[in-house]
Amino acid sequence: MIAGALAYYQYHSWRNRMSARIRRLRQPKYLSGAIVGGLYLYFYLFQGFGLRHRGGVARPAMPGLSGGPDLTLTLAALIFMTILLLAWIFPHSRTALAFTEAEVSFLFPAPISRKSLLHFKLLKSQISILFSALLITIIRHRWAGGPFIPRMIGFWAGLSVLNLHLLGSSFAVTMLMDRGISTWRRRLFIFGAIAIAAVGFYFWVRHSLPPLPDPEERHGFGWAFRYIGLIFSTGPLSYVLYPFRLVVAPYVASTYAQFFAAIGPALAMIGLHYIWVMRSNVAFEEASVEFSRKIADLRTAARSGQGRALRPPKKAVRAPFVLRPTGQPAIALFWKNLISTGQYVTFRVWLILIPVAVSVGMSLQTQSGRGPGLGMAVMLLVAVLLAISLFSGPHLLRNDLRQDLPVADVLKMFPMRGWQVVLGEVLAPAAVLAALQWLLLLLGAIMCPSQINHAAVPLGMRVCAALSAAAVLPCVDFLALLIPNAAALYFPAWIQLGKDGPRGFETMGQQLILAVGQWLALLLGMIPAGIAFGLFFFAGSYVHWPLLGLMSGAAGAAIVLAVEAALGVKWLGRSFERFDLSGELPQ
Amino acid sequence: MDTAPPRITETEAAAAPPQIKVDGLTKLYGDFTAVNDLSFAVRPGEVIGLVGPNGAGKTTTLRCLAGIIPPTRGRVFIGGFDLARQPIEAKRKLAFFSDEPRLFEYLTVNQHLAFVARIYGVAGCQDIARELLVELEIADKADKLPGELSRGMKQKLAIACGLLHAPSVIFFDEPLTGLDPLGIRRMKDSILKRARDGAAILISSHLLHLLEEICSHVLILKNGRKVIDGTLAEVRERFSEQAGSNLEEVFFRATGETKAEP
Repeated sequence: MIAGALAYYQYHSWRNRMSARIRRLRQPKYLSGAIVGGLYLYFYLFQGFGLRHRGGVARPAMPGLSGGPDLTLTLAALIFMTILLLAWIFPHSRTALAFTEAEVSFLFPAPISRKSLLHFKLLKSQISILFSALLITIIRHRWAGGPFIPRMIGFWAGLSVLNLHLLGSSFAVTMLMDRGISTWRRRLFIFGAIAIAAVGFYFWVRHSLPPLPDPEERHGFGWAFRYIGLIFSTGPLSYVLYPFRLVVAPYVASTYAQFFAAIGPALAMIGLHYIWVMRSNVAFEEASVEFSRKIADLRTAARSGQGRALRPPKKAVRAPFVLRPTGQPAIALFWKNLISTGQYVTFRVWLILIPVAVSVGMSLQTQSGRGPGLGMAVMLLVAVLLAISLFSGPHLLRNDLRQDLPVADVLKMFPMRGWQVVLGEVLAPAAVLAALQWLLLLLGAIMCPSQINHAAVPLGMRVCAALSAAAVLPCVDFLALLIPNAAALYFPAWIQLGKDGPRGFETMGQQLILAVGQWLALLLGMIPAGIAFGLFFFAGSYVHWPLLGLMSGAAGAAIVLAVEAALGVKWLGRSFERFDLSGELPQ
Repeated sequence: MDTAPPRITETEAAAAPPQIKVDGLTKLYGDFTAVNDLSFAVRPGEVIGLVGPNGAGKTTTLRCLAGIIPPTRGRVFIGGFDLARQPIEAKRKLAFFSDEPRLFEYLTVNQHLAFVARIYGVAGCQDIARELLVELEIADKADKLPGELSRGMKQKLAIACGLLHAPSVIFFDEPLTGLDPLGIRRMKDSILKRARDGAAILISSHLLHLLEEICSHVLILKNGRKVIDGTLAEVRERFSEQAGSNLEEVFFRATGETKAEP
């Protein structure tokens, strides 16, 4: 009866969730996202099947390592053993099973036995395990081929043992805690046991250890894997790995015969773990109630925009500068968002970072002598990091409207013009991004060799290039940041606001459309700046080539970008003023 | 309970121009009419209780008046300024307190006050902030993050932030939710103190007996429409069968809701 009620709850929760997702496909913004997301998934995951059917690139059935299937099995068992070992080392609190608050309210006071609750929890976790096994197998199949069903069942068996072992070990850890054994005493004991076992095994097998390969055979990491595999396949260490090999064997099986031989012992391991978990008489209810409440609080906070993340700040961050009570109110939002970035954006940190960058650069420059090798390597690294900051920075630094839109009701009450809100919001990530880029430019200017490909690069040229880039980059950053903020205002349902974003493959499709749209918009915005750069560069070069050309070109581009950014702020400000909270955001 | 004499008399209040003036306010959510052609005015020193059953449109009304959501039709004047045409001037005069305190998790109590002071341009904010923190009994929490405060303290911080710029129009949405008896008493005193200082106050709450203690006027909404507004005495007179009826009885008669038999 109880099992029926729990199954009813689980089935209808899932069905209602799915029907809600299907219903929202009536809205064009979700439908378009679903189409794009579906096509992406199809081409990414399922095209592999089609390719093979059409005689595409054939992949080995079992790629493994060059050491053969047994080495793969040994290494997989070793990884599995390490993961399980960590489950005994890391936990520092009592067992807390993740129930939702509603489950706690309805199930804990209900006449349901502890065994039934555990069964419910285990069955619930089986849904995500099965889904994960299916997804991972599809992805793996796409790239590595092999028998599909055995791989999936093998992965399911591994994950099931892992899930049960994590639960069982957490019960055991709780029991140890109840007997007064502290977390650190437990860890000390485990590390001690590992150390004693390692020393004992060494002395046991030291005479039979396989010799290290010759130095000329030690290329890459392959030899190390093969050597480790060899050690764990011989002598007593193979017995240590034996139970873990049983668990991973179905997954690494390359033929149906191997799979059928391996699946029986793996299922037996699942059964043994199940008995262990069910027989562990540990109270989990109290810790689970606390855990569920914490998760619910954090989710609610994140949804309402009051929580910055699922991990709220633990300690106060020093303000980056003293905020005077009068003046441009946009600076208050800038100040607030700098604080939200964390403790790494205070002026003190930058005052330390700059001399450190200068002294590191100078010292490397001195060590590298006259050779351009190190300088070129650092220049290349700086260029790569600058490119990453330009492409990924606006997505990673989200302490702007994307963070604050869930509290848009608070922003709306402020006596501020829309453009002031937008300016204040976007300034903080733009400033952090620009500061990072300036630091990189400083390092690049110091490390730039005085000769590249036999062409002299005098100090004036280096400084001039760095200054030009330093003038243009903040404007590009600001413009690049305006675009996702505009998307947040115009398509709030598409953007992950706060930290608790929407889910589903239609959401993935929306993200793809947005990413493409964002880069197209930025490219369009860069065209006038590029034209301005060209015009000013030629005009300046006419007077003094190339320094004045470069600087005047950069100044021209920066002015155009700044005008575009100002217009963008003005337009987005009007959009914010017209933004109707009752239409889009959860109330 | 605070019984200090009012700094603004009833005669002065009646003669003063309304601090809140609502004219034909209508708010539609798609086809659904949340608030329908609502008009009323609140003068300085008046405390008006906004009551109605669930879904009557109380919160939507408050959010429209605070400038959080735009009305579909109608006009709202705050301190004489048209909220749609002069939003900055109007918003400088108002404060809105929602039932759940809306705070920034990463700003300390002091940082919240500094932030709000800059937004509203409150010169000499440090002294005012200190006084408010002392009055609200959270002066010792000045460097704490909201996550380190209890719900009541968070609410006090939200109140401190809202009162920092000395608003002349104050909106409360269920201000007494989650407060302990002492907190309720202090909140009532605080509301009455602001009213005596000349603020026009609009409070939405389901706690009718508490509203009865602090409100001079009442506005009853049902299905987004105004049923009645006026002084407590006027409303009682219209909807009471006998003299001395309380607001609860008036509410049930006015809204046509059935009161559960004891």
